[in-house]
Amino acid sequence: MEVSKKSSKGKIIASGIAPFILLIIMIGYIFGPGSDLLDLGTPLPEISLEKIEFSESEIHVTVRNTGPIPVEVVMADVNDRIQPAAIEPDRFLERYETALVRIPFEWNVAEPYIIGLTIDDGTRFEREIEAAAPALKPDLEFAGFFAIIGTYVGIIPVMIGLLWLPFIKKISKSKYHFFLALTAGLLLFLGIDSIEEAFDVSDENLSGSFNGALLIATTIVLSFLGLYYTSEKLTGSADSLKISKPVAIGLMIAIGIGLHNFGEGLAIGAAVGLGSIAFSTFLIVGFALHNTTEGLAIAAPLSRGKSTVGKLLGLGLIAGAPAIFGAWVGGFAFSPFSSVVFLSIGAGAIFQVIVIILKWIREEGDKNLSSAAVASGFALGMLIMYLTSIII
Amino acid sequence: MIFIFLGMFGISVGLIFPTISEAQTEQKTFVTHTGGVITTSGEVIDPVYVESTMEFDPMEYLRDFNYGKVSTLPDGTTLREFTIIAEDDKIMEVSPGVFYNVWTFNGTVPGPTIRATEGDLVRIQFINNGSKEHTIHFHGIHPAEMDGVFEIVGSGGGKFTYEFRAGPVGVHPYHCHVMPLEEHIVHGLYGVFIVDPKEKRAPADEMVMVLNGLDTDFDTENNFYAANTIPFYYQHHPIQINTNELIRVYVVNMVEFDPINNFHLHGNLYHYYPTGTDTVPSFYTDMITLSQTERGIMEFEYIYPGKYLFHAHKVEFSEKGWVGIFLARDNPSKPIEDVDYGS
Repeated sequence: MEVSKKSSKGKIIASGIAPFILLIIMIGYIFGPGSDLLDLGTPLPEISLEKIEFSESEIHVTVRNTGPIPVEVVMADVNDRIQPAAIEPDRFLERYETALVRIPFEWNVAEPYIIGLTIDDGTRFEREIEAAAPALKPDLEFAGFFAIIGTYVGIIPVMIGLLWLPFIKKISKSKYHFFLALTAGLLLFLGIDSIEEAFDVSDENLSGSFNGALLIATTIVLSFLGLYYTSEKLTGSADSLKISKPVAIGLMIAIGIGLHNFGEGLAIGAAVGLGSIAFSTFLIVGFALHNTTEGLAIAAPLSRGKSTVGKLLGLGLIAGAPAIFGAWVGGFAFSPFSSVVFLSIGAGAIFQVIVIILKWIREEGDKNLSSAAVASGFALGMLIMYLTSIII
Repeated sequence: MIFIFLGMFGISVGLIFPTISEAQTEQKTFVTHTGGVITTSGEVIDPVYVESTMEFDPMEYLRDFNYGKVSTLPDGTTLREFTIIAEDDKIMEVSPGVFYNVWTFNGTVPGPTIRATEGDLVRIQFINNGSKEHTIHFHGIHPAEMDGVFEIVGSGGGKFTYEFRAGPVGVHPYHCHVMPLEEHIVHGLYGVFIVDPKEKRAPADEMVMVLNGLDTDFDTENNFYAANTIPFYYQHHPIQINTNELIRVYVVNMVEFDPINNFHLHGNLYHYYPTGTDTVPSFYTDMITLSQTERGIMEFEYIYPGKYLFHAHKVEFSEKGWVGIFLARDNPSKPIEDVDYGS
């Protein structure tokens, strides 16, 4: 018996591996030496000018090889006029490799520029900048500036929102459900907002070879599943961790909102970095109004458990402080790829929080999600967010 | 909570840090348009100021005149025989690092400068070694069947013999005339045909400049412009001339896509003979405007030694390569002191 059991186990393993082996053989055959069977067509090189920065008397271009074959970057131009330039570390770019092209150029603030790069086969790729603005230097002054902005946008509004806690504590059950649903509505809006932002960044800055739409979808799902699993564990073992279930839910909401605020910080930092300062003061006022409601979202579940001031402050910081880090990254080291990923993680986190809140409402409130309180709360949440978003 | 903080902080720092500290190794320097000196740890990509050597040598082409295999016919006519071979598979470096598929007459763009005296019998054995059909169409006066338009010469060794009397006096282009014509011209199938007057022009330092463009990405806009194909070449390698010596430039505009080209000379003016057909100059100017295949002869002398730019005053063209320098050296046989300034 033992022996046959072992051999059948071996068979199972073998049958599981066999397709992989065949697949490897096939790939080896296609790519192997001397097989020009599938050597059809001409692969076209492609590069993407991912980022253009204007520093003193220089224009810096971050270029990535986003095509199927290695390329050489051989020439730079500004407004279609050839310019001497330097490329660091060197002009040879393998697939997905990046390089920094430095073009000495006395550019003028707020003027539009088209920056072009030519590769070895003579193809020119270009990118237009609507208005040149000096790039930010990652010095302490700006780091402090962004920390203050992040505090105004993230931490303070969330803390103000948390002050609704005593009010929510005193209201009736159906009103409480109304506020929970309102929170879910607010969050759904934020989630959609994050996705939209991710698509914007992807369309404007990310080359097609990254499959922007699928990158966003995959990241959202992974983020959702990861946090969902974590939160189930957390709320499941809330008692042993000496935190109440409402606090656990509050914590998950705070983390979700924190990830979202990181994305908002990115947007603000990038806006300041791109020189649209006036635009970003608008952005800051809008986000501050907008984010006050996020405090409410954390306060709502907490109102049904015991919570200390310290815990509240902690949750407020988790939700709000990432705006500061986001502003730093967005302002000093804007990278389209990481921005899209962070925005998508934020969206996934938010959807996960919505699911938790809806579950919480169901458990709390007689297994009913279609009460007038819930429906109206959800709808009002979306509406409030939409109206405050117009200001931004 | 602390972990999340630290995590966020780590990510932020990690994303910022690479841009702050780039490893500074092996510094190179280069000079910019405005004279600034830039230091880089990477490579310099600069066709404008960095000298480069190309397979095609515009300096050799500049003063290279082909008079053919000369013999005299029984009636006393001079016969000049040439062989021109067309190819279309050559990949040539046209600007540092930029490789472009040139179509060539005798292996170069422009093709050889053919030169004859008015009335000579010109016989050109044309061989098409290309993969496409080609012809040679000469501007000038000749019988219809020698026009290189309807007598398509097949690929892979097709032959045709063009034979005509050289004329009229002047400077003329020749080029392939197979459709799509624009494609055959912009890839490089053209050259210069000079017909000298029987009474000879005054002795001079003579040179040929074909003003051309290169559309390396096939978007019907030129990526480069040049005098004699290689952008910025005569800026890196100034054309050496003598003061107080007559300079004669046969200039032919072969630029496609852009309706006009022009030629501006610094520190001097030139006598201009449109198409070179007349012995009396039409203009004394430092600026001529040339349409497609428009050409002429420029004559000038420098009095003062030094460096003089010449370039398209359509600045886009000059900033994309159509710019050069004459380096006028003092001519000891005719020093400046001897020049009579009048009065």
